[in-house]
Amino acid sequence: MRETIVGPFAGKFVGHAVRRVEDPRLLTGEGRYVDDVQLSGMLHAAFVRSPHAHAHIRNIEVAAARRSPGVVDIITGAEMETLVHPFIGMLALKGLYDPRFYALSSKRVRHVGDPVAIVIAESRAQAEDAIELVEVSYETIEAVANASDALDSRKPPLWDNRSNVLFDFANTYGEVDAAFAGADRVISHQFKEQRVSNQPMETRGIVVEIDPKSSAITVHAATQSAHMLKWVLALLSDRASIPASIKTLAINRDRVTRFAKSAKAILTAKPELKEPSPMMPAMVKQFRAEPSRFVDLQRAMLGLLAKSDNDRPEVLARDIGGAFGTKGSASREDLAVYAAARKLGRSVKWIEDRNEHLMGGGHSRDEIVDISMAVRNDGTLLGMKVSLTLDQGAYPAFPFGGSMFSQIIRVMFPGPYRVPVMQFNGKVVATNKGTLVAYRGPWAVETFVRERMFDMVARELGITAAEVRLRNIVTMAELPTPMITGPMLDVRMSAHRTLVDAIAIADYDNWPAAQLAARANGKILGLGIATFCEAAPGPPDFFEHSIPGSGALAGIEPAKIVLEADGMVAVITQQVPHGQGHETTLAQVAADQLGIPIEAIRVRYGDTKITPFAMMGTGGSRSAAMAGGVVTFAARELKERIVDIAADLMEASREDIVIEAGNVHVAGVPARGITLADIAVEARRRDQNAAPGEAIRVAQEFDGGEGGWTQATHACWVEVDLETGQVAIPRYVVVEDCGEIINPAIVDGQIRGGIAQGIGQVLYEKITYDDAGQFQTGTFMDYLIPTACEIPDIEIHHIETPSEIEANYRGVGEGGMVVAPAALTNAIENALAHLGVRISEPYLPPSKILELAGVIQTARSTAR
Amino acid sequence: MNSTNSRIAVAITVNGTAHELQVPARQTLAECVREELGLTGTHLGCEHGVCGACTVLVDGQAARSCLVLTVQADGATIETVESLANDDTLHAVQQAMVDNHGFQCAFCAPGFLMTIKALIDNQAVLTKATLREELSGNLCRCTGYASILAGAEAVLGLTGESNA
Ligand code: FES
Ligand code: FES
Repeated sequence: MRETIVGPFAGKFVGHAVRRVEDPRLLTGEGRYVDDVQLSGMLHAAFVRSPHAHAHIRNIEVAAARRSPGVVDIITGAEMETLVHPFIGMLALKGLYDPRFYALSSKRVRHVGDPVAIVIAESRAQAEDAIELVEVSYETIEAVANASDALDSRKPPLWDNRSNVLFDFANTYGEVDAAFAGADRVISHQFKEQRVSNQPMETRGIVVEIDPKSSAITVHAATQSAHMLKWVLALLSDRASIPASIKTLAINRDRVTRFAKSAKAILTAKPELKEPSPMMPAMVKQFRAEPSRFVDLQRAMLGLLAKSDNDRPEVLARDIGGAFGTKGSASREDLAVYAAARKLGRSVKWIEDRNEHLMGGGHSRDEIVDISMAVRNDGTLLGMKVSLTLDQGAYPAFPFGGSMFSQIIRVMFPGPYRVPVMQFNGKVVATNKGTLVAYRGPWAVETFVRERMFDMVARELGITAAEVRLRNIVTMAELPTPMITGPMLDVRMSAHRTLVDAIAIADYDNWPAAQLAARANGKILGLGIATFCEAAPGPPDFFEHSIPGSGALAGIEPAKIVLEADGMVAVITQQVPHGQGHETTLAQVAADQLGIPIEAIRVRYGDTKITPFAMMGTGGSRSAAMAGGVVTFAARELKERIVDIAADLMEASREDIVIEAGNVHVAGVPARGITLADIAVEARRRDQNAAPGEAIRVAQEFDGGEGGWTQATHACWVEVDLETGQVAIPRYVVVEDCGEIINPAIVDGQIRGGIAQGIGQVLYEKITYDDAGQFQTGTFMDYLIPTACEIPDIEIHHIETPSEIEANYRGVGEGGMVVAPAALTNAIENALAHLGVRISEPYLPPSKILELAGVIQTARSTAR
Repeated sequence: MNSTNSRIAVAITVNGTAHELQVPARQTLAECVREELGLTGTHLGCEHGVCGACTVLVDGQAARSCLVLTVQADGATIETVESLANDDTLHAVQQAMVDNHGFQCAFCAPGFLMTIKALIDNQAVLTKATLREELSGNLCRCTGYASILAGAEAVLGLTGESNA
């Protein structure tokens, strides 16, 4: 079932498993990951971190540590507050309290691993030695160890004497009570998802390089969004008072004019930004309630305005060892290292270790969902009531964390099904745990809960899991139709077809007999299915339905494409690939448009000096559609420009010019062709203003056009061993539709990798805190990542719904991880159904399986 | 702290080049090749012996360089991922991985490549199932392993056999 990989060839590249352009570099040790950056005179950072979940800092003594060999400086939380601005959440949503916090904590720590000081030394080992000598006196506070603690008003507040419920919202779609009153049955259940963690094989890291001569700043970073990191660091660093910034601006009036000019340019390009943002009323309310928030924001903004170009960093992201969402944030550590380098005027490197990464590098999931489905006896869904509690830990991820995820969870909850009415209540709570970040479908709980719940409804009603889905899933004849939450399911929404195909491939109708026969032979088998859709990138209004006012910034994908003086073509993208193979896929797309071989294309990324600005970077399963789209259209424009010149040079009409395998010629006479290098020479002769090394430059932006969905059904078979509690996965089938596939091997790799993480979640992975908030999974011996022995072969069946839409590419980055926990858990419950087992949480290690099956007694309920 | 000051003389051969080094007693072999010798192809994923990203060959045997001190490797011959390719010609295991889209972010790649090279060099007798076990000491978070296994099976000549 594996794709045959083909080599670069002259023809159509899109649709073929072209070998990866990045591999020769990465497989020979020539890759350059952030830890590979070694600069002469570079210093090393290490953090002093809290051993307590919740405590006041009474005193911090650094004198002994300062005397430790190699130590250059130690910056405590108190000093850090003079160097940087606080993180100020940018989302203004009704009912949201978004706490402000600094890069280091000075008065109070809020989770195990909370950084309280940064040590800068000549070597990493010396910095780590000195950490041991920093004496911090803590006075512990009762911990808010989990969501139920957070909902308990007797527990101490984490933030400013406010409730630990930071965000409380409710949305009603339709006449919910009436629908429930008219139902044959209302079936309810509570589900949980344990806290897990992305854990890319490369931890986080940053090297802040300060040029000793020019003092220019280059930030080498493992980040999913280079421009986001650049502007967050620029905004929050070099704290100056408001009067000081005004004074700087008075002396440097050009900085005001420059700002006004660029603001005007942005508003001309995006007139929709002139409209008052839908976030405005909530923002004004936030400021009224907390005037210091307004002051903090103004101080940071004025500071940014007053900065010279040289005081802002450029970010350089080269090779990145995976992320899955965790490197989409600007972290407190990033800002602390940056501030230290600025203070000392010297380059500083910080590479997180695995223990730190497990503690504080980003966790995810950790939700409780109460759901009720109102149904008819035949399984027809009449409505849902959903109540979500999301535990985002102590410090919200920046710029986007739990409160944003809660909104996507809300919008996505109906999935590709007919949900006539829905009530959605949500709470985002603060606890003494690490930061919740995006992880490969940060909204995935909607798929887990909905798809589990359909199985429970089917069991209650005595129909099959396939039947309940088929009764409710939107068929293609009904398209287009909006989800009850707003986004449009367009005519390519083929979730129904993936379900029908998967049922056929799984020989689902004969499953009960096969299962019974196996059981008679002592084999406990189960089959689970789950269906979903993901916004990849979603219909045009998707962001507006999630966070009104966010669409204008989030929706745009820019790219540049340049015919260079030597005849090579550069594709310059704001995407920051970290395993997705964009150097290959974007080259495939451009090569087909231009009629040139892949070897003639270089994809450039990760360097804010040359890449076009966008905040989103790589994430959200967006790059196939967004970057694939913009590169298609930009390459097409470049081709037009090339053809113009060729037509002149060859005295032919434009229509007769063809480019094949890099040969530009008149149709029918390839022998008399010219090269792109020839075109480049002529283009430079015509355009005296072309930049050095460039012949023709095209810049485009793409709003995603029709956007669209990726959809899939997974079918998973399990064999459960009731002696050992082990779950084997003899077969796993995926039927998916992501539109036109650019590179099948890359698509399949994304799907398989996501499923592996989903299997890991269900069978092995759990971030654990005890009831006092003490962290318990600090090594890879405690937090188990699946190995090659635990991941089954995965069959992938692609379908493609035909469409007239150009660049009909959609993303597949997150789907595997979103669906697999539901499919696998459904399979396990199906296997154990005859024992009366109901499964509420996708964490099923052997002990839990044996417990559910009644083989062993229920252990003390495990801490969350 | 004395450990940072006292240095110990070691002689190691890395990728065919002999080095005489004065290293801190606590320096790991991984730090030695990465920082001292600038061979950053060897990666550190966990620094506690679980992930296998740091795997190098010590006298022909796969070893986790995060768990080996440089002084322990005194007199040894070390091979890192940088030794695999011969100018522009990739080693068979590298080529097999290119041909099978073995890796994504490739942070884990040096460990897998060196582990598989040791299997090839030592003429390990394997089935598809035992290959999985041999590679289970190397973690990859991106791929779900199928593509890495496909590459390994290809270079080890296990492609024909059914998935035993
Ligand atoms: S870094 Fe050596 S095993 Fe993980
Ligand atoms: S390819 Fe990313 S960890 Fe293996």
